[in-house]
Amino acid sequence: MGLLSPPARFPRAARWVFIMMAAVLGSATYGGAQEKPGAPAPPAPDNKPAQYVGSDTCQACHEDIFNAFQKNPHHAVEADKKRGFDGKACESCHGPGSKHADSMSAADIRQPAKLRPAEADKICLVCHLNQPTHVGRINSSHAKNQVACVACHSIHKNGPNGLVARKAADINQLCAKCHTDVWASFQRPYKHRLPEGAMSCVDCHNPHGSVLPRMMQTVSANEPGCFKCHGDMAGPFIYEHAPVRLDGCMACHMPHGSSNPRMLTRQNVLLVCLECHSNLPGKPTNGTLGSVGPAIHDLSSPRFQNCTNCHQKVHGSNVSRDLFK
Amino acid sequence: MRLLLALFLMVPAFGQQPDPQTKTGDQTAQAPAAPTDKPADQAAAKPADQSQSPAPTGEQWFTGSVDFGYRWLSDIRGNDSEYRSVLNLGAGPKLTALDFTLTDPKHRLFDRLDASAYGWGGDPYNTAHLDARKQGDYDFVFDYRNIAYFDAVPSYANPIAPGGFNEQSFDTHRRSMTIGLDLRPGKHIVPYLVFDRNSGYGNGVDEFVQDSNDEFPVQTLLRDSANNYRGGVRFEYNRFHITLEQGGTTYKDDDQASYNGTSYGDRTSLLLGETLVLNKLNQAYGIRGNSIYSKVLATAHPFSWMDLYGQFLYSEPKTTVHFTETAAGNFSLINQLLFYTGEQTLGTGAANQPHTTGNLGFEIRPLKRMRIIESWMTDRYHDAAMGFDSSVSLPTNILSAAVPLNQFLAVNYNQEQVDVLYDLGSKVSLRGGYRYIWGDATVPESPFFAPGGGSESGQLKRNVALAGANFRLSQKLSFNLDYEGGTSDHVYFRTSLNNYQKGRARAKYQLSASLAVQAKFQVLDNQNPASTINLDFRSQDSSLGIYWAPAKSKRISVMAEYDRSTVRSSINYLGLFFTPEVSDYRDNAHTASGAIDLTMPGPVAAKLTLGGSLFLANGSRATRYYQPLVRFSLPLGKHVFWNSQWQYYGFREDQYVFEGFQTHIIMTGLKLVR
Repeated sequence: MGLLSPPARFPRAARWVFIMMAAVLGSATYGGAQEKPGAPAPPAPDNKPAQYVGSDTCQACHEDIFNAFQKNPHHAVEADKKRGFDGKACESCHGPGSKHADSMSAADIRQPAKLRPAEADKICLVCHLNQPTHVGRINSSHAKNQVACVACHSIHKNGPNGLVARKAADINQLCAKCHTDVWASFQRPYKHRLPEGAMSCVDCHNPHGSVLPRMMQTVSANEPGCFKCHGDMAGPFIYEHAPVRLDGCMACHMPHGSSNPRMLTRQNVLLVCLECHSNLPGKPTNGTLGSVGPAIHDLSSPRFQNCTNCHQKVHGSNVSRDLFK
Repeated sequence: MRLLLALFLMVPAFGQQPDPQTKTGDQTAQAPAAPTDKPADQAAAKPADQSQSPAPTGEQWFTGSVDFGYRWLSDIRGNDSEYRSVLNLGAGPKLTALDFTLTDPKHRLFDRLDASAYGWGGDPYNTAHLDARKQGDYDFVFDYRNIAYFDAVPSYANPIAPGGFNEQSFDTHRRSMTIGLDLRPGKHIVPYLVFDRNSGYGNGVDEFVQDSNDEFPVQTLLRDSANNYRGGVRFEYNRFHITLEQGGTTYKDDDQASYNGTSYGDRTSLLLGETLVLNKLNQAYGIRGNSIYSKVLATAHPFSWMDLYGQFLYSEPKTTVHFTETAAGNFSLINQLLFYTGEQTLGTGAANQPHTTGNLGFEIRPLKRMRIIESWMTDRYHDAAMGFDSSVSLPTNILSAAVPLNQFLAVNYNQEQVDVLYDLGSKVSLRGGYRYIWGDATVPESPFFAPGGGSESGQLKRNVALAGANFRLSQKLSFNLDYEGGTSDHVYFRTSLNNYQKGRARAKYQLSASLAVQAKFQVLDNQNPASTINLDFRSQDSSLGIYWAPAKSKRISVMAEYDRSTVRSSINYLGLFFTPEVSDYRDNAHTASGAIDLTMPGPVAAKLTLGGSLFLANGSRATRYYQPLVRFSLPLGKHVFWNSQWQYYGFREDQYVFEGFQTHIIMTGLKLVR
């Protein structure tokens, strides 16, 4: 049994209750709840709202940041009228700075790094919300787990990586800072070539979110990202092996790394196959797909212990229904 | 790719001359300032770091580094095939890294050009990457990778068969390339074009399977390639965004297998008093595929309290197959008690797989601290295929099969999820949710049950409860908790997630400006109590990371990570003659990796790194894998470093001792930095 008690079974109608509640709450509080991210910072005690002063004013005290920012991709905000912050790039994130300029107090300026992740993200999303990278955001476990944009992206930084790591090794290092368990898997003998820097985490995962589970990348519109490199296994095949389609590669493989050859989930091929191919003769009574166990083979003979020696087209065959060729 | 490499090396030569007005050796002015109030000493450390970094500054038009040297391998003690399957590093001169950035202050052809190349000179993974961009005009990316895939793991073959030691082995390369061009990036309307190519080539050993009676290892020539072309346009406005993309792929696979000689295959006994032999084989695949696909992505921000998301993806890959095979030897059709000396097979077929995916969702913020995220997703594909093959045995001319066989696979997957996120003050966020997954699948039935074809159906129904909490007790200390528990009425496969619970806890603590600690624990428990299955799966993982980099001393930094993971799985299966058996899998693993960076006292500030990783696993495949390393870097001048590295690789498996290997790898070379 697990550490945690089993979850209560949700009645199917429960989701509609959620939706209705959401709709009621939404309509009841329409328009009144949110502060527009680009709007001025909360009013100061004297109730006089802060005003935009322009980036030149910021330069007077923060010259180092200002100078570095000239080469920063975000400098486009300073010159581009598209977002409405031309000449006010600093204040596009930090809010109107007149009070801060007068008092020189950190309390009088918005500091995104000290905001709640959702609030900090809101500032980024003023410009970046309506971009293709964020289509999957609604499904992203990063967003739901309060991983803010700035956890991966630098805002002021200027360098070979720009605002985020670009080289495979740097990307992997960045991801491994949180996903230490995943990175540990890559120290196993059979793994994808990430520690060598030949691949990076974002080759397979979209950190902004994806329509597929585990934020998997897609290829050719809606195929799993695995097929970008393993195109010979994409099919469609004349004779499909159903688990490849229904459960994906991870039905048999551990792509982050394994002690087992070919990153298999079990120590040898035989058990990978037999754990599924073990329904009783006749139509399966337990409701699961799959054929009867290969009891016709002499499983005690090494000849039959590596199923893929004969069923070699295990990802799907174009010639043999038994996946022989 | 040699030309490409040469181009990379020559590009700086054609780069523009430095602007005397802007060139200066002072890089410290460009140190990226910390966005928050970081300690002064930490900020002061930045310029020192930057002096060894190829990071461009506003004053340098060209920055970069090249790292090259020579690698020696000691004799590989143990199994050479296993060494190549796991590591595959070779000796000789190497260009380990090339990395440069060009900036053009006058913004003529580009604002900035970044190029890099890694692992050239015979290494099993070569990469090259180029980014060039000009704000508002274009953004160009080129990426190339060539990854060797050598796999000849002895335990994967049939170790006792006469010719079986190299069965199921591959010595191939997979090459992938991407060329992408975005026009007018940052503007409201952004057209883009992308070309991807992925190909594989090489040799291997596979089997010629003769009607379940015997299988003969034969050499294969593997060749496949897929080209992907896509183009589209993005409309990016403050209130909404739409991406329209149209793409297409072409695919071909021309694998071949051949044999000429005398092979008795894996069978070690006579069949009805006869010896089965393969004397000659020619096998050729001609597989062609193509697909047209469409993609529509949209986001909208109609109100300050609402965001909308949606995507529609459609593809329709198609495959056509032509297959020929001629074989000579002594073969058998056991169901007809027939022995014959040759066979010819012709196969043809076609498959078509319309695949539609849709995703809709919204996020509403009814209260300042509350977010409700609702999403719905559907994914459905219907694979219709027809295969036809005929085999003629010679000289008896018996037609063993000549019936077209229709194959059908249809999958409908649906998912609906609602999440409610609530910020309970500035330090605590709570999350609760519910996911419902349902679907059905119709798949071809096993040949065992339906020799003439047929299908079987399965269903999927799963209710999942979701919960999470995020505690940010201070800027230095945070906790994250996640829970997911699901119950399933129907699942597709015996090993699928059925009644499961997943939990995860993570904590991060910045003990001081120089010391950070991170810990993580996660567990997955999955049960399927059906009497014929009785699946009991549980995996646990605990990890701890410590990162210490005292800014004041700048003499030492330490990174240490430790991970302990266990997997315990038991499931019923049917053994020989339907005998009930239990498959028990156990994996108890310890993984540790670390590095201590030491800066030597003295004017040259040489650096010594001690570290590496080790992996120790007990259980079903007990394995030891050690990778200690020592690295030494000595500055020979302002822009020249002499780097040397020793690394030991030791691999051992308790049950498969013949697969172990050990080797020492030494590399020395120069790194030039500008």
